[in-house]
Amino acid sequence: MDHATVEEEHVEMNVFSELQLLVFPGMLFLFCLAFFYEWVDRKFFAKVQNRYGPLYTGPFGILQPLADFFKLLSKEDIVPLASDKILFTLTPIVYVALPLTALFFIPISEQTGLISFEGDLACVMFVFTFMVVTVFLAGWSSMSRFSIIGGVRAALQMLSYEIPMGLALAGPAVAAQTLSISSIARWQSAGSRWGIVLQPIGFAVLVICMLAELEFVPFDIPEAETEIVAGWRTEFSGRKLALFRLGRDLELVFVSGLTASLFLGGAQQASFLPPIATFLMKTVSVVLLLSFLRAIFARFRIDQMISGMWKYLLPIAVLQIVLIEFGIGR
Amino acid sequence: MGYGSTVKVPFGPQHPALKEPENFLFEVDGDIVVNVTPRIGYVHRGIEKALELRSYIQDLYLAERICGICSHAHTTCYTQGIEELLGVEAPPRAKYIRTIIAELERLHSHSLWVGVAAHEVGFDTLFMYTWRDREAVMELLEAISGNRVHYAMNTIGGVRRDISAEKTDKIRSSLDFFEKRVQEYLHVIRTEESFLKRTAGVGLLKKQEALDFCAVGPTLRASGVKNDVRADDPYAAYGEIPFEVIVDDECDVLGRTVVRCKEMLESINIVRYALDKMPDGSTRVRVPMAVPAGEAVSRVEAPRGELIHYAKSNGTTKPERYKVRSPTLANIPALCKTLVGAHLADIPIILAGIDPCFSCMDRMVFVDVAKDRNWVWTMQQLKRNTSR
Repeated sequence: MDHATVEEEHVEMNVFSELQLLVFPGMLFLFCLAFFYEWVDRKFFAKVQNRYGPLYTGPFGILQPLADFFKLLSKEDIVPLASDKILFTLTPIVYVALPLTALFFIPISEQTGLISFEGDLACVMFVFTFMVVTVFLAGWSSMSRFSIIGGVRAALQMLSYEIPMGLALAGPAVAAQTLSISSIARWQSAGSRWGIVLQPIGFAVLVICMLAELEFVPFDIPEAETEIVAGWRTEFSGRKLALFRLGRDLELVFVSGLTASLFLGGAQQASFLPPIATFLMKTVSVVLLLSFLRAIFARFRIDQMISGMWKYLLPIAVLQIVLIEFGIGR
Repeated sequence: MGYGSTVKVPFGPQHPALKEPENFLFEVDGDIVVNVTPRIGYVHRGIEKALELRSYIQDLYLAERICGICSHAHTTCYTQGIEELLGVEAPPRAKYIRTIIAELERLHSHSLWVGVAAHEVGFDTLFMYTWRDREAVMELLEAISGNRVHYAMNTIGGVRRDISAEKTDKIRSSLDFFEKRVQEYLHVIRTEESFLKRTAGVGLLKKQEALDFCAVGPTLRASGVKNDVRADDPYAAYGEIPFEVIVDDECDVLGRTVVRCKEMLESINIVRYALDKMPDGSTRVRVPMAVPAGEAVSRVEAPRGELIHYAKSNGTTKPERYKVRSPTLANIPALCKTLVGAHLADIPIILAGIDPCFSCMDRMVFVDVAKDRNWVWTMQQLKRNTSR
């Protein structure tokens, strides 16, 4: 092979991988998926409550999240006089960038994620933590009493669910002897041994922690509407609020994708079904599970949440790891 | 814990937990409320003065509009007072119809409250379900009176509409449905762990405190005090209808919820009994326009508690003085007592616990923090700036 052909191939590879990053299964696809999952969540949540949910924009209101997004983009963007301008502007952008980056680790259209390396699971845990730090900074920079209380609550909440969540994420990694999300997913689909069957306790712990991570009822404490208006988001409006909402939707995709990859076998080829189809089916079922759970509880108080997490959830998560160490669930 | 370490958190006048404008300034030490300063008077409508400027018949419609939820309680209270001044009494059938409407009103008010309480603790599913089922009662009220909110059933000397036989059947079948739903809510409220965690032991108001602070209605009854105007000083047809005054000694928000749910079941029984025993005859007596001079105080058990109207007449067609004491005002001191020591997160549900209905007073003030000045608009400025 002469020099020119290598160069050409290199350029082609670059174009292809850039297309992957930008279109499918990269950013464009993920944005569409984020809006779609918000619609699934809202519609199902409404059905459980005997309401209609989004109805008018597009068939069955499917375009409502997109319409909300564009509406917010066109709204006035108010920056409070007392706020920390730099943080106030940066946090919405970081809040979208973080789950978007983390989604590249998740295998979506094939059995390996767009980026995959040994240890990306630890990186994902860092992203989870950093999202809450962003939330805290967003609340803190607004300089509103409601926002600060919301931000502090978000940080407190993270301190209590982070360790059980880490242990629940570690369970499949210990079983598969790897710290790469794609490898864990491949290990499960290769042996037809899904994490949910091997480690049901770990799955339950993870789902509870994900409710807290997404600030869904009963853990919507940082943005409890009737207590502190919109919590840490109170002062954000216009484009910034639109970005926060998009970030939340991407987080929903990310959370469901991670749960599917670690506990439901991930994007696997099932007879004639391509990996993307199984990925969509699994993640939608996780989204449905999460929105069903958020419909059947009342909101906990922050002290009840923290003590509950440390008293009950942490020992259960440790129990799962002990069981794995004794060879049960691997 | 010095004064300096507290944070002042304002609640209202605009706040999602408050459905009407009202300001509470909380001093919070960490997460615990140490002091509350209520500032009432954001929705002063000058309604007492307006009552004095209009004739007794016009006042009937104004009294109905004092409250959007307990409109019938206010007209009942008003008509009773004026009837006393006139020396007339409503016919027995009219009294039964007043009772039926009052109890239906209690049903829709209490079920609305259960939904609001569920929403305050983030249990939106229960909120949606109660408000859906409440429609059954609203439709009944519409079928009887033609209106969902301001029924305009009462008039001085009786009621304006009769309840026909086929409507009686409709009321019975709707109540059967609603009774099942209320029993379901009672079950959910007592068993749903996350709801119990947020309401049991929250907003404690002991029996003696409730009496000292002159609490009224379900708030008082949930503190174990058997007090109900319907039983203590029977009006309309309550003297002839057997019913139980619901009390609960839990003294907390859970107790207030249970009391209201059980009261709904009791109301259903009252309506059923009244429909069975409703006497025949006329529904109103004609009364003169002018009312002889005198004074009258009238009491009614509104869904939120004891409602008091005072009327002073001077022999003309207009009252000389009219005074309304709504149950919310009576509950404000007790409310402030229960809020001290509460968690910040529990404020909304404790506030909602008395089923507040704020109708008080204030005027509009503009404040420019940057230039440190405030001013009040004149009527002309207001007109100029609002008609753009």
